[in-house]
Amino acid sequence: MLTKEIQHVKEESEKDFSSVDNPKELEELRIKYLGRNGILVQLFEELKKVPKEDKPAVGKNLNELRNLLTEKYNLLKTDLEKTDDTSEEKIDLTLPGTIRTIGSKHIIIQTLDEIKSIFKGMGFSVFEGPELESDYNNFEALNFPPNHPARDMQDTFFVSEKFLLRTHTSPVQIRVMERFKPPVRAIMPGVCYRNEAINPRSYCVFHQVEGLYIDTDVTFAELKGTLVSFAKQFYMDDLKYRFRPSFFPFTEPSAEMDITCFICKGKGCRICKNTGWIEILGCGMVDPNVFNYVGYDSEKYTGYAFGMGIERTALLKYGIDDIRKFYENDLRFLKQF
Amino acid sequence: MKASLNWTKEYVNLEGIPVQEIIDKLTMSGLEVEDFVNQQEIYKDFVVGLVTSKEKHPNADKLSLCKVNTGSEELIVVCGAANVASGQKIVFAPVGTIIPLSGMKLGRAKIRGVESFGMICSEAELGLGNDASGIMVIDKKLKEGTPFSKALGFDDVILEIAITPNRPDALSHIGIARDLAAIFNRELKYPELKIDEAKDEAKNYASIEILDTKNCPRYSSRIIRNVTVKESPEWLKSKLTKIGLRPINNIVDVTNFVMNELGQPLHAFNLDQLSGRKIIVKSTKEKMKFTTLDSKDRELPSGTLMICDGEKEVAIAGVMGGENSEVTSETKNILLESAHFNPSHIRKVSKALGLNSDASYRFERTVDPNNTDYAVNRASMLIAEVSGGEILKGLIDVYPEKIKEKEVQLRFARVKKVLGYEIPKESINKILNKLGLKTILQSQDEIRLQVPTYRPDLEREVDLIEEVARIYGYDQIPAVPKITITLEKKYDESVFTDEIREIATGLGLYEILNNPLIDERSASFDGRPIKILNPQSVDMAYLRTSLIPGGLIVAANNINKGEKNLSFFEIGNIFNKISENEINSFEDFIEERRLLFILTGKERKKKWNSTEKVVDFFLLKGLVDSFITKFSLDNVLNDSYYHSGNRNFAYYFTKNLKEKVIGLGGKVSKDVLKQYDIDQDVYCFELYLEELKEIQQRKKFYSLPIKFPKVVRDFAFILDKYITYEELINFIKAEGSNLLNNVKLFDLFENESIGNDKKSMAFSLEYQAKDRTLTEDEVEKEFLHLIKLIEKKFNAKLRGI
Repeated sequence: MLTKEIQHVKEESEKDFSSVDNPKELEELRIKYLGRNGILVQLFEELKKVPKEDKPAVGKNLNELRNLLTEKYNLLKTDLEKTDDTSEEKIDLTLPGTIRTIGSKHIIIQTLDEIKSIFKGMGFSVFEGPELESDYNNFEALNFPPNHPARDMQDTFFVSEKFLLRTHTSPVQIRVMERFKPPVRAIMPGVCYRNEAINPRSYCVFHQVEGLYIDTDVTFAELKGTLVSFAKQFYMDDLKYRFRPSFFPFTEPSAEMDITCFICKGKGCRICKNTGWIEILGCGMVDPNVFNYVGYDSEKYTGYAFGMGIERTALLKYGIDDIRKFYENDLRFLKQF
Repeated sequence: MKASLNWTKEYVNLEGIPVQEIIDKLTMSGLEVEDFVNQQEIYKDFVVGLVTSKEKHPNADKLSLCKVNTGSEELIVVCGAANVASGQKIVFAPVGTIIPLSGMKLGRAKIRGVESFGMICSEAELGLGNDASGIMVIDKKLKEGTPFSKALGFDDVILEIAITPNRPDALSHIGIARDLAAIFNRELKYPELKIDEAKDEAKNYASIEILDTKNCPRYSSRIIRNVTVKESPEWLKSKLTKIGLRPINNIVDVTNFVMNELGQPLHAFNLDQLSGRKIIVKSTKEKMKFTTLDSKDRELPSGTLMICDGEKEVAIAGVMGGENSEVTSETKNILLESAHFNPSHIRKVSKALGLNSDASYRFERTVDPNNTDYAVNRASMLIAEVSGGEILKGLIDVYPEKIKEKEVQLRFARVKKVLGYEIPKESINKILNKLGLKTILQSQDEIRLQVPTYRPDLEREVDLIEEVARIYGYDQIPAVPKITITLEKKYDESVFTDEIREIATGLGLYEILNNPLIDERSASFDGRPIKILNPQSVDMAYLRTSLIPGGLIVAANNINKGEKNLSFFEIGNIFNKISENEINSFEDFIEERRLLFILTGKERKKKWNSTEKVVDFFLLKGLVDSFITKFSLDNVLNDSYYHSGNRNFAYYFTKNLKEKVIGLGGKVSKDVLKQYDIDQDVYCFELYLEELKEIQQRKKFYSLPIKFPKVVRDFAFILDKYITYEELINFIKAEGSNLLNNVKLFDLFENESIGNDKKSMAFSLEYQAKDRTLTEDEVEKEFLHLIKLIEKKFNAKLRGI
């Protein structure tokens, strides 16, 4: 009897709910079916009269009906309220959004970060050192004897006879080697100074990254491999390169690494002085004299070192025409990176 | 160094090797060709022309119309030079020629109504000199139509080679030829010596004595009698001009020629001016003045090595000759000096005098001590040839202790260990021999070599490995595509500043980088600045003691460009002297890293949906606090506030770790702003990162958020104006029960209606317990109790709850 009634209510409610199209009608239906004196409550009253053995089955049916109706109601409620929104006054969605300012790291630092991350991926540590250095760390221990013309390669700002503004990050090599025994694999970024004429291609302050790897079997071939991999990751994958013999007092053999000019693709232009090549770094095998200064056995260990200027690298990579722009800190410049 | 390829080819046969290959191989072996001029290439279109007639230009007074016979035709050319005349042989550029001076292609042009079919060139236009005053008039005997480069010998390739300081041997044509001989496996040929000596013995005409043999180990000399000083012959002048040297006279020109040929600087003295016909080499005992042959008075420090005659100084050894013994057109007899000087001494003198000559440049890099005789003989032979003089018999050569060739051993296994690549033994031997090293012993595993004294850079095994590698070719050594990563402990000392940068940019700041070199006044901002002994300018004569002045300069520059709303940060080192002492150790100064925040203008411009916000003290303070909180240091540090006491700030605050200040900043004072021409308010703060790094709390532990609800209550008080927020908030925090979880000031106002000496402060209080839901009654009790305490303590009047 009640089972029939339940089936009937189910069918009727389906019709009712399907024709509802505003919150008011829905509320009326809620009262009709789910209200305090609604049909469901009445049906549950009826359930009490059902014989004991039929109760579980009928009760189950009734519960299902209640769940069905509640669910239908909730669904329609959210639906009808949503529809309600569209009738509101339309706002102008094309008005500008409220911008949040995100600052930026200086492009030199960003370039440095990129280089750091490549070398860290190759197992290099990162060390820093002071900018105001001793002549010993900056020159002497790096095999620049006093009164040697090699010192002319790096015009130096002195603060006294024995102290100076470091001309390269290489003194950090000495500091690291004095602190650790091999193996040592590290890069050393930092600010350097040179007393050079200021023009679009050179400024008296610049950043450098120095690299150093010392172990029992480090070779020139490995130095080449490492730097080629760096250059491919940093510049472009299909680059051509060459290692040119050069001279640095603290490496022997020494080399400079050139890559194909990426402005002219090697055809020759103003940037590469018509050579088709761009010099990106200096490198070489650590000179045994340097090992002697820091107390490493130069017969047992070999090692390589390299160094590159960050400003120069960033000039090339971002097509900036004047190195002084890095230190002007013009907001319109800074915001571009 | 400038070198002529044709000249170089006199010592090594490079037949069959294209110019470009020679250049590339030189660069790839360490003698970097920075630039070169291929004269044959750039002069390929220029021809000798004959000016057959010259008329005035019908429409211009200063121009003339010339007819030029180019060998194949006669063309009309408009010429602006005053010195052009009919009958001259000139250098003619037909239409289509690229003019070296401008790099532009010459077109057919109408000049003041008359068409011109080419150009008559000046020296300057040809890139041969600076003379642009008129056209270049050439030898009448040259036939019109002859290619210019052939007619005048401009068929050379001039190389500009960057010689590294370790290669003094390459500062000569013979040195470059030697490398080329090794690279291309050719023979090196030294110029042959043929000396006709007179019967008279040189030693009867002059004597030489070295008193300072440490700084002058060798002095070789020849006497040449009865010379005629005059202009050099064409071949000699041309050689020097090509490498950028100005011909002077035949004697000086020969010394310059031999220096560039063999690398040995030479000096010619007027023998008749040498008192007692003596040369004495000694060092000065005290400071003295000396006039060098460029007519400049020089102040010589004591201990300067000098060339003297019987009574006076006649030259600064190895640097420059004296005016008093110079070769002039009247000179008849000369003494030719070819010496070896101590490189570091010459460098010291040259630095002290600020005088860098071609001679000192070579001497300070080491000149071969065992070639002075050959060089002086070569020069004497050439002087006799070009001046008609006679060479007296014998060399006067003082060389008390011969500088011997070094012997260096090279293990083949070591070559492989350093390079990571095996170069065949035969190649190693051959390369080193071609470079002039003699193999004196050879075994299966190693060779022993004698190194010539012109290669002072080759002292150790590793030096020889470099020689082998550079000639064999660095590009022959493979770039290994695999590396091993050693697993020693890794460090990253830049992590701390990296983290700061992330936070600062997240706070909306742009990073700036400033030059730490700054003017004295700016540098004195926060301490005793360190002075640069050799600054470039007064603007960069000191090291900064604070990042603030640099920041202010950047602010000023941006404001001037119309960017008035700025928020920057900078991370950089500052330098401070500890005492007045000269800096002789790391204990005499402090170098430390700081972080600067600098804000000015509007933090937010007026927008359609928000009002504008001008930067103020509290924005700065909030920025600093946000930063500190991110490092979880908000409970570790305390603040102090000041309205006076620092000339740089109108008012400021400090961040302190207990008693120690670890950061300071505020509103920059008007006086300071005026100094930097800034007429808007600027707020900045500097944090001392070394200290911050020490206390930085690296370890972070998770704490469970409280899951029970908050109960929020508000109150507002009217109280005396002089009571600070800090006093009130500290009292509330101290007295407001342990259920009080958070207090925020949400309103502050001063108004006549509440009294001129009063202010109203409104706070919002959050009560919350970790272990239960608070009841309204419980909170109410605490809240009302707190109100009573405040009323009593501050004599405050409750305005509302």
